[in-house]
Amino acid sequence: MTETYLHVRNLCVSYGDTAALHDVSLDLAKGGRLAVIGESGSGKSTLAMAIAGLLPRSARTGGAIEFPGFSHVPKLGKDIGVLFQDPSGSLDPVMKVGDQIAEVVMTHLGTGWISARVRAVELLDRVRIPKALSRLNSYPHEFSGGQKQRIALAAALAGNPSLLIADEPTSALDTVVQRHIVNLLDELVRDSGLTLLFVTHDIALASERADQIAVLYKGKLVEAGSAAKVLGRPEHPYTKALIGTHIGLDTPRRKRLTEIDASELQ
Amino acid sequence: MLNWEGRAGAVVLAALILMALLAPWIAPGDPLAITGEPMLRPFASGAHILGTDRLGRDVFAGLLHGTRTTLLVACFSAAAALVVGSIVGTLAGYSGGLADSVLMRITEAFQTVPSFLLALAAISVTGPSVPTLIFAISLGTWTQAARVTRAEVLSLRERDFVAAARTLGMRPLEIAFREVLPNAFGPTVSLAAISVATAILIEAALSFLGFGDPNRVTWGSMIAEGRTVLRAAPYLSIVPGIALVVTVLGVHLLGRGLSRTERLQP
Amino acid sequence: MQTRLFFPGNPSRLNTYSRQPESSLPPLVSFFLRRLLATLPVLFVVLAGSFLLLEAASGDAVDSYVARSGSMDAEQIAQLRQEWGLDQGPAYRFKAYASALARGDLGWSTAFERPVASVILERLPVTLMLMGVATALAFFIGSLLGVVAGANPGSFRDRFLSIGSLALYAVPGFWLGLVLIVIFAVDLRWLPIGGIESVASGKTGLARIADIGAHLILPVASLAMVYLALYLRLMRDRMSEIWRDPLVNALKARGLSRGRIIWRHVARNAVLPVITMLGLQAAAMLGGSVVVESVFAIPGFGRLAAEAVARRDTPLLLGVILCSAITVVIVNLLVDLAYGKLDPRVRVGR
Repeated sequence: MTETYLHVRNLCVSYGDTAALHDVSLDLAKGGRLAVIGESGSGKSTLAMAIAGLLPRSARTGGAIEFPGFSHVPKLGKDIGVLFQDPSGSLDPVMKVGDQIAEVVMTHLGTGWISARVRAVELLDRVRIPKALSRLNSYPHEFSGGQKQRIALAAALAGNPSLLIADEPTSALDTVVQRHIVNLLDELVRDSGLTLLFVTHDIALASERADQIAVLYKGKLVEAGSAAKVLGRPEHPYTKALIGTHIGLDTPRRKRLTEIDASELQ
Repeated sequence: MLNWEGRAGAVVLAALILMALLAPWIAPGDPLAITGEPMLRPFASGAHILGTDRLGRDVFAGLLHGTRTTLLVACFSAAAALVVGSIVGTLAGYSGGLADSVLMRITEAFQTVPSFLLALAAISVTGPSVPTLIFAISLGTWTQAARVTRAEVLSLRERDFVAAARTLGMRPLEIAFREVLPNAFGPTVSLAAISVATAILIEAALSFLGFGDPNRVTWGSMIAEGRTVLRAAPYLSIVPGIALVVTVLGVHLLGRGLSRTERLQP
Repeated sequence: MQTRLFFPGNPSRLNTYSRQPESSLPPLVSFFLRRLLATLPVLFVVLAGSFLLLEAASGDAVDSYVARSGSMDAEQIAQLRQEWGLDQGPAYRFKAYASALARGDLGWSTAFERPVASVILERLPVTLMLMGVATALAFFIGSLLGVVAGANPGSFRDRFLSIGSLALYAVPGFWLGLVLIVIFAVDLRWLPIGGIESVASGKTGLARIADIGAHLILPVASLAMVYLALYLRLMRDRMSEIWRDPLVNALKARGLSRGRIIWRHVARNAVLPVITMLGLQAAAMLGGSVVVESVFAIPGFGRLAAEAVARRDTPLLLGVILCSAITVVIVNLLVDLAYGKLDPRVRVGR
């Protein structure tokens, strides 16, 4: 029996009158890799941001998010790292990338400026930025989209967090770059024993890289469990439909289109 | 509906317009005529609530009639600046090429010379009167409208309705002024408040320096008059200045209320 | 989205910067010269335009000269007209003026009975000093208060500062000058009422600098206040826009302190477009110095403009217009250079 890292119990989030999440409960084991899947508007990003504690002030929440392994509320940056969808949006365009990583190191590890910069080089190296030392003083616009996402990842990991939340980390990138980032994430998670929660609409990605899958539909958790179980023996019609829409070329032509009938799903 | 700022501005301006319209009834006769003892303090005499100036002219009457000059000059020069600016901007933006660069060089040249200096030079040529003041002030203030309109026209030029007008066989100038300009007018109109405020301040400064219409009372000339007895009767300069500040503030408030670009949201 | 939000102003600026310098001059110098050359057409339009405008005036330089110097018979007047080229057409005079200008000759001031260039050069430093100090103060205090307001948009401090700056923005500089004189020079007697330094005080060295400084306080305050309000607003509005940017969420997610996010990121990004405004405001401030210098009896370039108009000195007025255009162009160039240094996305001479 593995240790539970995260308990989400009866979580409800609403903005004004619209409910974004309704009564969501799930667990995440330490060192586990959980994929939250669903279509846009299903509340999957809201779930990730709620766990990170980054919901906008206008959001009203109910239920509980617990981290059994912590005696304190986990700190962003130090205990939880977050990677966002848009790499350009997560980096300050007028600050050297080395400084952006070093300031996180300084904030959470309490090191001096020099050792923070040294650590920044290590981190850039780890996320496979070539010639990391010479790129320390470069600005974000001097990197490609994929490289920017790697740098954002380095900044997210700079405080040595034990949980990484990745909100559609690859959707803004092209296919080849997506693969690189996913492999890198995978590797880092394995090497450092990170617990990973990633949000995606890509069911193939989820099936490949996650050991647990949670399916959200219209703000409700419709299915959760091990990847093999959710994908192999889906119980909920929405999950079935979701798997159905993901078709290979060997799927018979008349079966390629599966309509999702909302009335069946309630 | 207007927010509170816009409403405050509207109230101030409505009061000023009312003052301007009713001036001949509230304070009949020539405001430049001597009506009492010189240098009466404000609130000292019932006949002259705001006192009298160095020569015995009623300050309140001057203030009322000054409103007329101020609003007249400001509104017409702002209107002239907006009209000229949007015509130049439309021509430059729609025709492009050589015409565009020539018009933009001219616009730049006008922007390079301080608009107050330009107004001063123009007044020195034409002599001071209400129409020449309007001409002189708009000479230096049309450029902003030209730039804004041009930018807007450039983005509208490629739209479908312009292509449609072209296929219908409309002539370029017809398209530019019948189809494009009316659609580009929105952002230009939002400049109106700034234009009016600028015009008020330039007119005040011109008449303060003695380059205003000598046959009319203006707030600027009242401030200049009061300046000669600044030690003995500072209120003679201060009172018309307060009228200026209130007017300009009212214009800004209404402008902000109307444009609504400013929202205080997280 | 992102670039539009953070890249202020004129994208064509980029092209000018990225061109490779061909000469052996240092890149900064050659950049400066190239940009200065690029403004020549604009300056030519300024010259031709103001020449045309002033040509339209009734009465010429000889008329105003005669009006002042008094007795002159018709023959003398005709001779003077011929000497000054006033019997020829405007095209001839423009050519003559332009060719003299190419040699650095701005003509003869009829009011001062001296070359225009020497009058202007004598008056310009005071005004540049006044403008420089006023700009620096307005920028630093204005953007600092802007950060205070923009650190927490919608808060009480923000509302207070926003409304205050709006009110301040409506105050005409010359009137503010008079109010300051009434308070600080007439009532309190703390500061001198006008002029640039005490007349015949015989002060030298530090004492003289302190004296000039005391004379500058009120004019600088009257000139700077409206720009202080402007920069406060700009800074505050930009910051409140940036708070809504995804960047802020990313920075919060890294656990950075609020102070660090405000000063090192939000304010740092917001200050760039404010800097571009410094250049754009140069022309307006030069215009403002005309009235403020008149209020404080400061013998500067601005008051010279008013004197040229009042004394109908056309050559002087033409020179003043041209010199203010050149000043504005140079200030804008300097601001562009500074901007290139501060915004890493823009690089000079690369």
